[in-house]
Amino acid sequence: MKKLITFTVNEMGYEVAVAPNKTLTQVLRDDLDLLGTKEGCGVGDCGACTVIMDGKPVNSCLVLAVQADGSTIKTIEGVARGDSLHPVQETFVEMGAIQCGFCTPGMVLSATSLLEKNPHPTEHEVREALSGNLCRCTGYQKIVEAVQEASRRMKG
Amino acid sequence: MLLLPKFDYEEPKSLPEALAMLSELKGNGKVIAGGTDLLVNMKKGTVKPAFLVSLRKVEGLREIGGENGGLAIGSHATVSEIADSDRVGSMFPVLARSASCLGSPLIRNRATIGGNIVTARPAADLPPALIVLGAYVELKGKDANRTIPLDGFFTGPGTSVIESGEVLTRIILPSAPPFTGGDYIKIGHRAALEIAIAAAASRLTLDKPDGVIVDARVVLSAVAPTAIHAASAEKALIGQRPSEELFAKAAALAEGDCSPITDMRGGAEYRRDMVNTLVKRTLLKAFNDARDMKGGNA
Repeated sequence: MKKLITFTVNEMGYEVAVAPNKTLTQVLRDDLDLLGTKEGCGVGDCGACTVIMDGKPVNSCLVLAVQADGSTIKTIEGVARGDSLHPVQETFVEMGAIQCGFCTPGMVLSATSLLEKNPHPTEHEVREALSGNLCRCTGYQKIVEAVQEASRRMKG
Repeated sequence: MLLLPKFDYEEPKSLPEALAMLSELKGNGKVIAGGTDLLVNMKKGTVKPAFLVSLRKVEGLREIGGENGGLAIGSHATVSEIADSDRVGSMFPVLARSASCLGSPLIRNRATIGGNIVTARPAADLPPALIVLGAYVELKGKDANRTIPLDGFFTGPGTSVIESGEVLTRIILPSAPPFTGGDYIKIGHRAALEIAIAAAASRLTLDKPDGVIVDARVVLSAVAPTAIHAASAEKALIGQRPSEELFAKAAALAEGDCSPITDMRGGAEYRRDMVNTLVKRTLLKAFNDARDMKGGNA
């Protein structure tokens, strides 16, 4: 039986009827048409499905949509302010931290979440914060550099 | 895309309501906490519960609070809440260390301490640390409650003494005696998103800073069907004056206490070798902390 859930996604309120066996990834993509959230492995290993749930990055493929009832979600679509990209998005683009792009939404969300908590992370802290997000193009070096550069820009 | 099978889902508002629901479901219901293990197994088809009961609306299950000089941790506290808690870090650094080894930051934000216990995986990160700390688990049922040592809770891979109508509500950590120190080390192929190839937790208590060992606990993980005590290593340590030679002797004995298997993560022989190394290193760190601290550090 479907359940009615209400939640906030990218500062917009939604009310959706969902089957209990739908994951948050599925509802974001299929019901809300927010296709920026990707599904990779589906079992919490790759981080392509990362969203920010009540302030914390989580694997949305391992969250039931019914468990998100009442929560506040931010997806990659909610990171930019209108036409102006978040500093992490800017540095990803400028510094070649994007190759095929599949991991990028998750990487950007884990990175912005880190910088909110810890504005001046060490390289080790950046790598640790991104350790649940896999890039199969193996572009880690540039991704880490882009996060560090974003941190420097956000300082000023 | 891996799809979840069909099931029903309820969110009872109170513990009594949840316990009545689980009792009525007679084993067809399963508690879902963080879901980082359960949903993976359901997607892979290894478990097929008809009914999931979420306790996220039940109050008080996420609290980390002091109790009789020790700590009581709600079963639904997330692993990242435990890893980041100043209270846990200062009172029981071994637990904080094991929590920060689990999964990835994304997994730790959902996974719960209760889930990591109840799933009873032989390579789970928190149980070895909790066992050396002498943790108790509070189990509540519809008609009866019990508080039992975590040591003895596990009966095999994926199995424990918890009954189908029971819910793990709190984990209770008694205060540590003075001159106590501990450590947890996990070996995996990489630092994140890794299930242990082998892991060890140790805790030593001295009678005084330069004294003899009055209590020794060495627990091994991923090298037996459940987390186990290295009983002969513990026996060899108690009553002795700490030294590197003593720790080497205990580590060699620990190799005989485990029964590792060869699987995709590692060979039995390698695991046995690693048990030796891990026990030696955790004991050395435990001793240094026990000697330097005035107490309450494990």
